[in-house]
Amino acid sequence: MSAKQEDLGSSQPDMTSKTSASTLPPPEKPNAIQTRFKVVAAFWAVILFLGFPIWWKTTSIYRAELPIQEMLDWAGGKSCRPVFPLEIRIDTPSLPDVEAQQLLRLTQHTLDDLNEFSAHHLRLKLANEEAQQTAVRADTALTVRLQAQDDLPSLRSELHAETTMLDIFYSPSQIPPPSSSNSPLASFIAAELQRLFAEEKAIMAHILSSNAVGNSAPSSNSQAQQISPQLAESITKRLRRSMKYAETYHLAFSLFTPGSAPSSWDIESAVQEYISPVIQELSPISNFTVDTQVQLYASFSPTTPAPEFDETYGVWTLKEENLSAFINAAEWPLNPSIGSGPTINFILYVPAPSQSPLVVKESKATSWIIPQWGGVFILNPPLPTTEDSDKSNLLHLPRDALRAPFLTFSHQLLSLLGTPSTPSSLPFRLQTLIRIRAATLLLSASSTTGSLARLTESLPSIPIPATVASSVATTLSHLSFACENLRNGQFQAALASARVAETEAERSFFEKSMVGQMYFPDEHKVAVYLPLLGPIGVPLILGLLKEVKRVVAGWKARRQGSAS
Amino acid sequence: MSPYFGLQALPFLLFLLFAALVASEHTSNWAVLVATSRFWFNYRHLANVLSLYRTVKRLGIPDSQIILMLPDDMACNPRNAFPGTVYSNADRAVDLYGDNIEVDYRGYEVTVENFIRLLTDRLDEDVPRSKRLGSDAGSNVLVYMTGHGGDQFLKFQDAEEIGAWDLADAFGQMWEKKRYHELLFMIDTCQANTMYTHFYSPNIIATGSSELDQSSYSHHADNDVGVAVIDRWTYYVLEFLENRVTSLDSKQTLGDLFDSYDETKIHSNPGVRWDLFPGGEQEGRLRTVVDFFGNVQSVEVERADADEPGSLKEDLIEIAQLVEKWRAFSQDYAAANSTSHHEVARDSPAYEVKRRNVGPAKLSEETPWEKRLIGLSILGACAAIWFTGSTLGGTVA
Repeated sequence: MSAKQEDLGSSQPDMTSKTSASTLPPPEKPNAIQTRFKVVAAFWAVILFLGFPIWWKTTSIYRAELPIQEMLDWAGGKSCRPVFPLEIRIDTPSLPDVEAQQLLRLTQHTLDDLNEFSAHHLRLKLANEEAQQTAVRADTALTVRLQAQDDLPSLRSELHAETTMLDIFYSPSQIPPPSSSNSPLASFIAAELQRLFAEEKAIMAHILSSNAVGNSAPSSNSQAQQISPQLAESITKRLRRSMKYAETYHLAFSLFTPGSAPSSWDIESAVQEYISPVIQELSPISNFTVDTQVQLYASFSPTTPAPEFDETYGVWTLKEENLSAFINAAEWPLNPSIGSGPTINFILYVPAPSQSPLVVKESKATSWIIPQWGGVFILNPPLPTTEDSDKSNLLHLPRDALRAPFLTFSHQLLSLLGTPSTPSSLPFRLQTLIRIRAATLLLSASSTTGSLARLTESLPSIPIPATVASSVATTLSHLSFACENLRNGQFQAALASARVAETEAERSFFEKSMVGQMYFPDEHKVAVYLPLLGPIGVPLILGLLKEVKRVVAGWKARRQGSAS
Repeated sequence: MSPYFGLQALPFLLFLLFAALVASEHTSNWAVLVATSRFWFNYRHLANVLSLYRTVKRLGIPDSQIILMLPDDMACNPRNAFPGTVYSNADRAVDLYGDNIEVDYRGYEVTVENFIRLLTDRLDEDVPRSKRLGSDAGSNVLVYMTGHGGDQFLKFQDAEEIGAWDLADAFGQMWEKKRYHELLFMIDTCQANTMYTHFYSPNIIATGSSELDQSSYSHHADNDVGVAVIDRWTYYVLEFLENRVTSLDSKQTLGDLFDSYDETKIHSNPGVRWDLFPGGEQEGRLRTVVDFFGNVQSVEVERADADEPGSLKEDLIEIAQLVEKWRAFSQDYAAANSTSHHEVARDSPAYEVKRRNVGPAKLSEETPWEKRLIGLSILGACAAIWFTGSTLGGTVA
């Protein structure tokens, strides 16, 4: 109220000059000033306490916490050094314990001397020792059975084809005496083991070296060249041929024929008989689904050179360099299957009777592998010889006719999955494959987590949902399980953990909502915000400025007033 | 260096040598061909892409490894005087649409989001594999884009654009996840060279049709079709590919391709970016054109008479033994079963055959009644608000 009186008082001297006063607006009432202050304050309060938080909340990107350092450690190989202690049981039915122990010690010593690749080493164990400790049981990679045979000219070994067992025949005189420090028998066993595991070791070295980050500096104390160039070449060739790892593979068996026959085949029993044993053996590594189809009137593509007739052998031939065009990719329905996971195609081609038998010109072979894709087999069934003028294929392919192609397909499946080629015992090779897969999956899952960590750091605008964080946690825990299992020599368990880790790592990396297409340059942001914020912002800021000015002026006036 | 790798030397060295040898090779080829503009007057952009599609198919990349994105359907456009066909030359010698074309993304599916999802493979699980880029660490990828662009952006359809930053990030993510071995990026649009300025991931060779502030022009129009049918830069690239890269064993290099650019013919200054490629321009120029436009095709014939380890013959014996083992096993199993139960199938299968019977599936879990109820209650609430509002307003007035 006092302010009002002051105003009135001050206006009185100006009453004389009425003309000039009438052009000025009447002075503001103090409560109007107050109302204006309140209005400006209310607007700013809404902006600061409601608008700003909402804008902040709605435009911020949710980024779950990820254990970045741990992920990078895995990728850099600092968290886990994959080792492969293979346990080898030695069965010595005809040896007393002390001598067996001595032999074991000597052999182990020789083995350690021979081995240069310390990540992959063989641990010998006596068979009867095994029963005693059961706490952490490692998988047995191989059983060596020592068999005494009299009057044996030299040591002899024999690998069983259907089990992981190596027989070694020796004559009793070759048992090392308790005091000796070397024996021909021990070095023979060691050399045999070294030979059996040579390829596996080479593959492991390859896998680890191609993934290792800081370990590439070579040392110079080499003694022996273990890997022949031939073996090395076959390894790289196999790696190039084999499919990328997948949780599930779809096997598609297709029968193609240019005519109307054969129009049916005993596929169910053929698959059951010849394919399913292999699939069963491979089941720890991947899942498989089987699809089959019969396609009649399947012609070659028009650009494929036609088969030529070879007079000397009486066969139709395809040139080897034209085999890549054999499959008419445009017209044969070999589409990848709809579900997740790659398809491995196996094609059984029955040529027209007029072009039968059909073989590859150079090698007279009837089957070939297409790397990372599948296999082809040309089946030339015996033609019914009743009427020579009008030859036609059998209408139905019985199971016996499918034996050769389906065994070949099994072989092609094995090599497409990267099964090593030596030694000649399938269970042994599959065991090796399990170890190889465990190692590759461990490394690939680690590198994927590292990629994800680097990605989240380099792209700050990408959202990271909570599911990614939980997937990463699962990945890391399974990676350490896998690593632990490897160290204990439990390769099946390691593979199982590595499979989970790989799946989760892939899932977290390929999370659907992590799509960073939100980058806008700053001028774009200004261009978007200005038309909206300009018209609102100008009166708001001017109002604020005016109010601040008034408050400052009032405060100054009061200070001057109090000073005078 | 860990002591653990210390012992190991020569095998390792050998392998490193090998790895180096292998590193220059690739195991598969993929092509991503993208047109980004709609509407009849942009006929030439689709013709550009279809010409490239025809070329990579001619050089052996199968449809399953080509991702073709066409935002419009020129062949079936009502203004097309030659329905069902697309030509990239006024002589109309080659129908690019043909009988054998697989368009993976069509019409409004061609969006920036889908394109980035495709490159980074962040797609739904139910997206079929034919619409995915399944490349891996051994794949050479060709990315060709054409449309209308500007300084550091390329317009998609008529509503959105992809920035050079997003494209660079997408390639960066591909590199992180080892989704390519080497990548050739080609773009034909106005100010095309600005699109690859932000790339940062290694092993990329990029080339574009025009510099900053330069337009890319169309080559010629077909008077019967009524619009321009191809762009200049693409036309001359194609000319090179058609005349000089006639088969898969062509030895023409990328250097030859880029040297063939003639600015007086193209009417703009095409650019090439080498610095991301290991070895730079020198190394990159040596890459052959078919490294990116062709398909690595190799078959391994299995000789029936070879007997080295792992050969067909050896394996067949082993597999046959395995088959025998399983047969014996299932017979034992059947025998064991038939002692307890009487009539069990003699040859009980070692695995089960699952038949896929696809029946109709219900799409939604909710019952329609729930939705109706929700709708009804919302309507009721709105009516109540309106009613109370009008009564209150009435009393005040």
